[in-house]
Amino acid sequence: MEWLQRILAGDRRTVARAITAIENDPARAESLRGALGAHLGRAHVVGITGPAGAGKSTLVNALVGELLKRGHTVAVVAVDPSSPFSGGAVLGDRIRMAEHQANERVFIRSLASRGHAGGLSTATAHVVDVLDAAGFELILVETVGAGQSDVAVAKLARTRVVVYPPGLGDEVQALKAGVLEIADILVVNKADLPGADRTARDLLSVPARRGAESKRPVLKTVSTTGDGVAKLADVIAERAAGPRERRENAVNGQTASTL
Amino acid sequence: MAEFASTYPPKVIVTKIGFDGHDRGSRLVAAFLRDAGMEVIYTPPWQEVSTVVKLAIEEDAEVIGISSLATDHLLVPRLMTALREAGVDDVQVIVGGIVPARDEKLLLDAGVARVFHPGTSLEQIADEIRALSARARAMREKETP
Amino acid sequence: MNKPDQSRLYESELEQAERRWHDAYDATVSGAKHSVNRSGIDIKPLYTPRDRASENFFDDISFPGEYPNTRGIYASMHRGRSWTQRQLIGWGVPEDYNKRLKEILAHGGTALSLIPCNSVYRGYDADEVPPELLGTCGVVVNSVEDMDIALTDVPLDRISCALNDPSPFTLLALLLAVAKRRDIPWQKITGTSNQSDYLSHCVANHMFFRLALPGARRVLTDHIQFANESLPGWNPLSVVGQHTQQAGATPAEAMGFTIAAALQYAEDCIARGMDPDRFLPRFTFFFDISISFFEEIAKFRAGRRLWAKLARERLGAKDQKSWRFKFHGQTSGVDLTRQQPLNNVARVTAQAMAGIFGGLQSLHTDGYDEAVSVPTAEAARIAIATQNILREEAHLTDVIDPLGGSYYVETLTDRMQAEIEAVIARIDAAGGMYTAVEDGLVSRMIGESALAHQSKIESGEQTVVGVNAYQVDEDPHDYRSQPYPEPAAIDAQIARLKAFKRNRSNAEAAGALDDLARCAQGTANVMASIVAATAAGATHGEVCAVLRRELGFGQPLAIV
Repeated sequence: MEWLQRILAGDRRTVARAITAIENDPARAESLRGALGAHLGRAHVVGITGPAGAGKSTLVNALVGELLKRGHTVAVVAVDPSSPFSGGAVLGDRIRMAEHQANERVFIRSLASRGHAGGLSTATAHVVDVLDAAGFELILVETVGAGQSDVAVAKLARTRVVVYPPGLGDEVQALKAGVLEIADILVVNKADLPGADRTARDLLSVPARRGAESKRPVLKTVSTTGDGVAKLADVIAERAAGPRERRENAVNGQTASTL
Repeated sequence: MAEFASTYPPKVIVTKIGFDGHDRGSRLVAAFLRDAGMEVIYTPPWQEVSTVVKLAIEEDAEVIGISSLATDHLLVPRLMTALREAGVDDVQVIVGGIVPARDEKLLLDAGVARVFHPGTSLEQIADEIRALSARARAMREKETP
Repeated sequence: MNKPDQSRLYESELEQAERRWHDAYDATVSGAKHSVNRSGIDIKPLYTPRDRASENFFDDISFPGEYPNTRGIYASMHRGRSWTQRQLIGWGVPEDYNKRLKEILAHGGTALSLIPCNSVYRGYDADEVPPELLGTCGVVVNSVEDMDIALTDVPLDRISCALNDPSPFTLLALLLAVAKRRDIPWQKITGTSNQSDYLSHCVANHMFFRLALPGARRVLTDHIQFANESLPGWNPLSVVGQHTQQAGATPAEAMGFTIAAALQYAEDCIARGMDPDRFLPRFTFFFDISISFFEEIAKFRAGRRLWAKLARERLGAKDQKSWRFKFHGQTSGVDLTRQQPLNNVARVTAQAMAGIFGGLQSLHTDGYDEAVSVPTAEAARIAIATQNILREEAHLTDVIDPLGGSYYVETLTDRMQAEIEAVIARIDAAGGMYTAVEDGLVSRMIGESALAHQSKIESGEQTVVGVNAYQVDEDPHDYRSQPYPEPAAIDAQIARLKAFKRNRSNAEAAGALDDLARCAQGTANVMASIVAATAAGATHGEVCAVLRRELGFGQPLAIV
């Protein structure tokens, strides 16, 4: 298929058109996925989720900056909620990445959740596949942060980052199931505010899912100043270098083959 | 394939280029378009022309709505040229705001699809965008393998 | 009968009379619609002494110049000295500014206002931006030479200058450099750093240089301190209600946000160790005047009264000069229409009257072509003539606070004050205006009000003559609008800037800019350093570039 070659060459326009097709045109999406299958697995997919108010977008912005400094190419998929009434959406996450809008090594695509629970639409995984095939080294998937139901990101991403604001307090005890369980890295953002240390300690005490080899890291960041972001990038890089797991396709359990 | 063209929401960028910062109008338009079922990429003011082109490519936008209160519409011909040079000239561009009558022709000649003046209702703008979104999709259908 | 009996009888008579009137009203009125003003206050068809039953004259109204200043901040107000006729001017190159300024002064303008080109607002010099955008909405002023030319023949020691100069106040620095050139001591310079309020810019119209918020905060506080110490005739702070109101805030919200911002700035000054009685007398305010006539009058009276109380009780100011709510009003361009533009003369007249009855100190009236462009000479002349007519033909300066005592206006003033206080309480609960802006609260409130107002217009509930009612077929080419500056004039201006940079001592300018950078990195007063830099020949764009680098570049908030 003609598009395939252009996608593999990283042609931005074709990548974007392919993403549109995947979002909207099931027949075309099917043939695309078939064609892409052999070219997946190089990208490190990082899911970033967390409750509203955690400053996820600003953190993603800071993280993108750090990754660019390290010479990487980065794609960002920013998922925003669709209005349950009108079906429309204002896709405003990428506004917070204003400083990277113009950088050629960054590709940002906004997706509307289109009513899917978990903040991720079925198509998101396939969108990630297109970006993977296009050669982006890191793909950050930032989701709606609808709370405990962001589990869908678990199947999509190799590294799952969950971002919290300080001051969770007793709520941490309630966060046993769901998104907290699947997190590989926990981040307390806005760490310059009171309560950050306490929240970090509380999060450390929450166990990861069964079978996880060691305690997962709890980091503190201040995304507006960049404090702690380099460390976050280090930890993400360590995960990329570590033992590979199979990344599942969220829709039908197909696993993407990994190296 | 064509039947899918109308089943998913129009994809619109609402933005401001140039130096002016008054965004009351563009915020209202963005909210209205969302409530009319469209997917809107909304940016703050002061976007560079090159950034808007990159946005249009990455988001695969069908329509770009430029809000211009001061004389920033004078930069729109540069935007039209940049879109053409980037191979993205199937994106439909509209300009809304304060555009003196003598400049309207300048914009239309540069390839702008429509110029809206103060007093236009939000509904009219939404209708036009729906029509332009359909036009962009029709153009894209032709070039899809 | 003793007094209490008399008054009880009187009250009972009043009550009965009002009921009689109400019955007659109900019998004659048919389908009268419910009236609500822009701030959401219900407006009755009639107000009576019964609405004033709990009024305390001395606490609530008193006399002009007497706490709480409800009727005016000075004893003599416009009768003693008319409001300043300060028309905003800005277009083209410095020579164009000077020409238009002289025309306006000859036609009744009494003070100067300068609005710079949008490129200047964005922190750039003329040689850094697309030339087609230069001089279209404001005058290009980048250097001491430009400012000198713009102010040719202007007696700086005798005329008050308002420079639209939101951070980092390079225009003021350029003015001071010109004063030095003309041997005018800075003590004699009077005026205002117009719209120096970075919070209103940040949240509403983004027309500011765009330092990140913490940097803007530091620069403003330095600026206030510098002016208090070195410029006794200068108002460094102009807190802006116009921006939020034009962005869609209701009049009560706009006043609430403005006072909340002023409290924030005052607290920042106090935290710096400054004395309220030193800086408050130099706090001024800048408001939009919409065409909601009585609402605006009540808004201003309420704001003035509330500010006096807050300055005294909350900020602890003891000097009565500190309690004064000095404000400039500008008729609102948002209410003006592109359709049937001459109608705008009527609108501006109504708006101006509301500002005058509201007790403003200084007034700008818009040109009728405001909805299309910067005003033509003719439109600008009509705008200033409007003020002359109101003063000299309608005699609006004869009586101080002529609407004071009106049952309606006093009641509406009380109701507006309650709404304003509710907004301030909400901002306080959010941690103060700085935090509320940063968190997006103010932006969201503005957006909601903007949507509500737009919905009323689109549904026809609010008539806009010529737009959703009383439309005519018109050819938009039928009226003139101000042309753009001649490309040759712009080219000459850019060439002049380049020559200026060649002819100055680049070593001196560069050295001063390095000093500015060091100052910005530390804690010394950055305004003093900006003044020194422009005196050494640094341009506006160069000063902004240094500060952008050292203090960080903020992003405009964008919340839909």
